[in-house]
Amino acid sequence: MRYGGDNRGRLLLIVLIVTSLFLITLDLRGVAVVDGIRNTTQSALTPFQKAGSWVVSPVRDFLSDVTHLGRTRNQIEKLKSENDALRSRLQERKNADAQLEQLKGVLDLAGKAQYKIVSARVISQGSSISFAQTITIDAGTSSGIRPNMTVISGFGLVGVVKVAYPNSALIQLASDPSFKVGARIAGSQQIGILSGEGTRKAVLQLLDNSLSVKEGDVILARGSTNGRPFVPGVPIGEVTKVDNSASAVTQTADVKYFVNFSTLGVVSVVIAMTEEDPRDALVPVKPVATPLPTVTITVTPTPTPSSKG
Amino acid sequence: MFSRRFLISLPIFALVYIAQESLVVQMRLPAGGFSLIVIFTLIWASMSTPEIGALTGFGAGLLMDLSQTSPGPLGHWTLVMILASYVISFLSYGDDHVRANPLNIVFLVVAGVTLSQIFFALLSLLLGEQLGSFQNVLFISAGTAFWSAIVTPLVLPFVSRLHAAVFGTVSRI
Repeated sequence: MRYGGDNRGRLLLIVLIVTSLFLITLDLRGVAVVDGIRNTTQSALTPFQKAGSWVVSPVRDFLSDVTHLGRTRNQIEKLKSENDALRSRLQERKNADAQLEQLKGVLDLAGKAQYKIVSARVISQGSSISFAQTITIDAGTSSGIRPNMTVISGFGLVGVVKVAYPNSALIQLASDPSFKVGARIAGSQQIGILSGEGTRKAVLQLLDNSLSVKEGDVILARGSTNGRPFVPGVPIGEVTKVDNSASAVTQTADVKYFVNFSTLGVVSVVIAMTEEDPRDALVPVKPVATPLPTVTITVTPTPTPSSKG
Repeated sequence: MFSRRFLISLPIFALVYIAQESLVVQMRLPAGGFSLIVIFTLIWASMSTPEIGALTGFGAGLLMDLSQTSPGPLGHWTLVMILASYVISFLSYGDDHVRANPLNIVFLVVAGVTLSQIFFALLSLLLGEQLGSFQNVLFISAGTAFWSAIVTPLVLPFVSRLHAAVFGTVSRI
């Protein structure tokens, strides 16, 4: 028999719905208590997230290997030939090397631009069930991190600090649908607004429709006053497609981020910058193709004996 | 009796919430992954009366809203989870055809997860939040449904036993 419900049940449902609507109203009106509750929850969760990161990292690396099977096939074959103990040690070493590589990349980038940075490990990634794109790092206000600071990796812009706690910080990734950053095209210096799309692709909207943008153009952050939320000159991505429709009010282009957000292990928060704008100094150098040696073969016909007679 | 059972449920949900926030999200599964707390709550609701279901949804939704990774205001997930849990418990409670077959519960939960996510997205649009492209929303919703369909049968026996232990019901799945 189907449950028919009664007045008490309906009354409870209405009370709960009204309570949730009341909470939404309180939060949207910016009542400080609500933020306080969330901050306390995050502070309490940080140790669990750090422990979880340590526990899950081997599983996550395994899943990542499965996802990128084509790229890591050779490495997997190599690992198969080794014994279990060595494999385990290698796995740990692999983690450390990957983090070291990311750290080296970000230090190179920050060194070129003379940014003062604080590096941190990614300890958690936000659930996509809410369509938001966030990560949590293991450094916070005790390390000098404050909200609205630029977050970078060795490849370029990662996002911006949304909330800073004593020992952790929530980072809004550049791929988040609500993320927006003032951008300019390296070289031509055209400016526009870049918006996240929930994936590794973003949309650039140029402010001047009379100028043109082409595939392969590198996009950099334009920078904000006092470098917050964005320091100038940080590489963002590369134009992959241009929308040149005549009817469009503004010219738009698809941009692919340099950073792969799903493989972030170590990131850096820019806590201070020099007065000088690095301009285009941080544009990544494109790999130069090594010229292949060319061999020219000239065929010389030999006279046949019959032609002599 | 009701209050005692409800109070016993609280630490269980807190543990599931911690597992979600510290372990599940670390796996970085493709296509959005799954939400253990949503699945757990909807299974729990499917075995409860609509009143308990609504209260369970309220508690779980509130926990989800407390997560810093939740982009919406406090109460956003709460509202979604109250309605989802109430509807699921309303559909399944007292109907032996539904409760006797685990597949029906799995189907209800997966449909509940997907519809909750769609309702969450609609509510986000009403509140003026950015969700990204329509394709991305569809992709993540489909991915979450896929992962939920895999995870729900795995956790169903465990949740069923736990629910039976707390509420003292004889039948288990």
